[in-house]
Amino acid sequence: MPQVIVVTSGKGGVGKTTTTANLGTALAMLNQHVVLIDADIGLRNLDVVLGLENRIVYDLVDVVEGYCRLRQALVRDKQFDNLYLLPAAQTKDKTAVNPEQMTALCQELRQDFDYIMIDCPAGIEQGFKNAIAGAEKAIIVTTPEVAAIRDADRIIGLLEAEGRGDPKLVINRLRPNMVRRGDMLDIIDVIDILAIDLLGVVPEDERVVALTNRGEAAVLQNNSRAGKAYRNIALRITGENVPLMPLAEEEGLWDRLRRAVGLGRH
Amino acid sequence: MEGAAEKKALFLQRTLRSGQRVRYDGSIVILGDVNPGAEVVASGDIIILGALRGVAHAGATGDPTALVAALQLHATQLRIASCIGRRPDGDKASGSPEIARVQDGIVIVNPYLLGA
Ligand SMILES: Nc1ncnc2c1ncn2[C@@H]1O[C@H](COP(=O)(O)OP(=O)(O)OP(=O)(O)O)[C@@H](O)[C@H]1O
Ligand SMILES: [Mg+2]
Repeated sequence: MPQVIVVTSGKGGVGKTTTTANLGTALAMLNQHVVLIDADIGLRNLDVVLGLENRIVYDLVDVVEGYCRLRQALVRDKQFDNLYLLPAAQTKDKTAVNPEQMTALCQELRQDFDYIMIDCPAGIEQGFKNAIAGAEKAIIVTTPEVAAIRDADRIIGLLEAEGRGDPKLVINRLRPNMVRRGDMLDIIDVIDILAIDLLGVVPEDERVVALTNRGEAAVLQNNSRAGKAYRNIALRITGENVPLMPLAEEEGLWDRLRRAVGLGRH
Repeated sequence: MEGAAEKKALFLQRTLRSGQRVRYDGSIVILGDVNPGAEVVASGDIIILGALRGVAHAGATGDPTALVAALQLHATQLRIASCIGRRPDGDKASGSPEIARVQDGIVIVNPYLLGA
């Protein structure tokens, strides 16, 4: 049963594109057929993060406007022939696509892929509405910061209002040292407010920036902690029960987590 | 309950999230949390069986006898009738049930003691 998952956050710059690229790659490593849709029309990034920019011929807007067939616009990954990107248009804006077209697009992609992941733009306007239209599941990315959590909460409320409840949470860029000093919210604080299931915690990892600049995914690096966290999240998405990795937190923290981990299959 | 006028109440079982607002002509009872950025406005009382972290306005049409109670009263701001209260900066909520009322024109928060 194919899954269409939107990766969203409300606030900009918290790691949606990084998360989409890494989870997509990790799922491909697990032999799943994956397509990543860059729904950030006008500010496309996912192609750069995946290192595929120079292979783009057509984009999402070309597809919905009928300039090319969907197949022609899909860009195959450098390493995995079961990973594809549907790039965003860079020269158009969010109004070039509407939610009905996005839904139809996702429907068509379901025939050929196990996972369709959509990289959502920041904000709650048209771009967000387009990105969630065809998705039945959502991953909310937040950093452990008050403003990001506030926006995540708003997004969860909007998803609920659209009948897309039960989103899963990824907490990105956690810095265990700062949490220990009390300078950063800890995981419990975040879950307390957002009250949704935790899918995983990705630590701050400066290698992510360097790898991203080279168009390489952290999940391909054995020694990247963020990469390991993303690989674990991908396993949870496929239904495996992987314990949270300890992030040098105080002992017993993990026992205090009230909520189960896992995106689950239905 | 002698002397107590009967009030109608809206009962909600959900979490109010940032950007969501509930208004009701009567009292509001919520089994769930009211998150920062959410707003609850009632002409009567407001009772939150959960954490109140957003804004609550009780007695919104001018009733200064209205009250706000919550299992955890962490409200960003509390309003009762035309009185506005907020915790002093840096003040921590007790974590146990509290009740806010207007006394002498200011919003006073007290522990909510069962049976008291
Ligand atoms: N775990 C991490 N550790 C270190 N840096 C990270 C991590 N996750 C993301 N970053 C960096 O944060 C920046 C923003 O990430 P990204 O582009 O994925 O965010 P976004 O939510 O997609 O942003 P936008 O809202 O603009 O689309 C990038 O420079 C990225 O490399
Ligand atoms: Mg992005």
